[in-house]
Amino acid sequence: MSAAISLEAVSKQYGPKTIVHDLSFQVEKGEIVGFLGPNGAGKTTTMRMIAGVSTATSGRVSVAGYDMANQNEQAAQKIGYLPEHPPLYDTLEIGQYLRFIAKVKGVSSGEIDREIERVCVACRLEDVRRREIYKLSKGYRQRVGLAQALLGKPEVLLLDEPTAGLDPGQIQETREVIRKFGAENAVLLSTHILPEVTMICQRVAIINNGRLLAVDSPANLQRAAEQSNQVALTVRAPAADLEKELRAVNGVLGLIIHPVPSVEGVVSVNCQIEQRDGIEAAIARVVAARWDLYRLERQQPTLENIFLRYVQSAPQKANEK
Amino acid sequence: MRGLLAVFQKELLIYFRSPIAYFVVAVFLLGTGYFFLYDIFSTGNAIMNETFRNMGILLITLIPLVSMRLFSSEYTGRTMELLTTLPLKSWQVVLGKYFGAVSILLLMTLGTAINLVPMYLYGNPETSTILSGYLGFILLGMACLAIGQFFSSLTQNQIIAALVTVSMLLAFWFIGHLKEFQSSDTLRDLFGYLSFANHFGDFIRGLMRSEGIIYYLIVSAIALTLNAGFLQWRR
Repeated sequence: MSAAISLEAVSKQYGPKTIVHDLSFQVEKGEIVGFLGPNGAGKTTTMRMIAGVSTATSGRVSVAGYDMANQNEQAAQKIGYLPEHPPLYDTLEIGQYLRFIAKVKGVSSGEIDREIERVCVACRLEDVRRREIYKLSKGYRQRVGLAQALLGKPEVLLLDEPTAGLDPGQIQETREVIRKFGAENAVLLSTHILPEVTMICQRVAIINNGRLLAVDSPANLQRAAEQSNQVALTVRAPAADLEKELRAVNGVLGLIIHPVPSVEGVVSVNCQIEQRDGIEAAIARVVAARWDLYRLERQQPTLENIFLRYVQSAPQKANEK
Repeated sequence: MRGLLAVFQKELLIYFRSPIAYFVVAVFLLGTGYFFLYDIFSTGNAIMNETFRNMGILLITLIPLVSMRLFSSEYTGRTMELLTTLPLKSWQVVLGKYFGAVSILLLMTLGTAINLVPMYLYGNPETSTILSGYLGFILLGMACLAIGQFFSSLTQNQIIAALVTVSMLLAFWFIGHLKEFQSSDTLRDLFGYLSFANHFGDFIRGLMRSEGIIYYLIVSAIALTLNAGFLQWRR
């Protein structure tokens, strides 16, 4: 059985401009993959190609085993797609809108009511089904968009920034829905909210300027990123003396010292260090001999750092969108 | 087939949940009533020839208001993206929408039937001529809607869609006038054949010619095919 979503050397050009370069990755069944990248990186363009809104200039996109170039109608039966702006008909009521989508997706007449009920419960829309869509708040519009994507039990869910514009409670609920769905199906989730990725995604694909920079689990990405060369400490000490002592430690390259606000006499320090084992211990020995040491740690690379590192190290193009 | 039906039902629902369908139908019936009264009283005959002719012109100015939203609103509402990703073929979207708009046309036509009541009560009209006029009217309306729907698919601005459609329909209506200036017979025939008004005139006079029926159907078919082709090409 092939992957639920598969991209092989996919490129997309609009006129002379190449938006997506030679992109390849897979999303398996039962997997939630985060699609990360700054604005204008090509996330939405890629999502649209997978969803079948537009076709790839070259390369092959397949969903649930169907080639999007010529079998997109069969594939469409398997796809639930929530674009960045939920595609809603403002004059319709939520129930009428969902009924239309269910019919088009081929849900049988006997099943329609049950199916609408199911997605309404999942997206917490039970009580507002008779409300006209133009009266809805942004959060509700997003939920109706998600409900629409879930209708007809798709095997592949494509979500373009599904939690944008939601309040924290709604974000929590939406993540729960996605996680539940992703346990048995494939989800590709584009976002620039990094903690979201660590929380619900098994793997992350990082993209910038239309090029894929990395695909791996968040943990592996963290491990693969070289150990950070930052040590942070909090000390009760006069800044000038502390600086002199620390600079004397072999392996410390630079220092930034600033007072901790609202605590008299306590400073926090960021040490730029040379990569060397045991340097924390050396620093601790020097400092603890004379002052109170409150905190000392080697900073872990966060997903944020990793992301920035990938994005910034990639060659910047002059003609950015 | 189910997809087509779903699109059709959605279109009807949207027409009747927004004020535009009611306004267009109301204005049309008001205008038609006026023409009918005027023509009947001025001639004193139980015929609808002049009424039908005026209905045709009124139709041409009102149809663009029905057709303008068909695709333009899908673009501005970003729902076109949804329609392309749902398991729908282009022709299903095109025909579903078209039949939805044709339903509004039929409703308009049906509304004018009220005029027949006094005519049959107090006069002795020729039924076959009236039926022929109605057939011509519906065929004309279908061709206008198809053209309007095609232009609506080219722009996301409803006003522009309506303006281009109305210019196009007026051009088709009056193109027969060019006939008078041609020395070549071929051109005279061509301009005569292309004219909406000429074919419609035949129907009004009671001539249900297959040439006229085929003409309107071909115009509709060409516009709808271009419509579906354009949607396919957009991807």
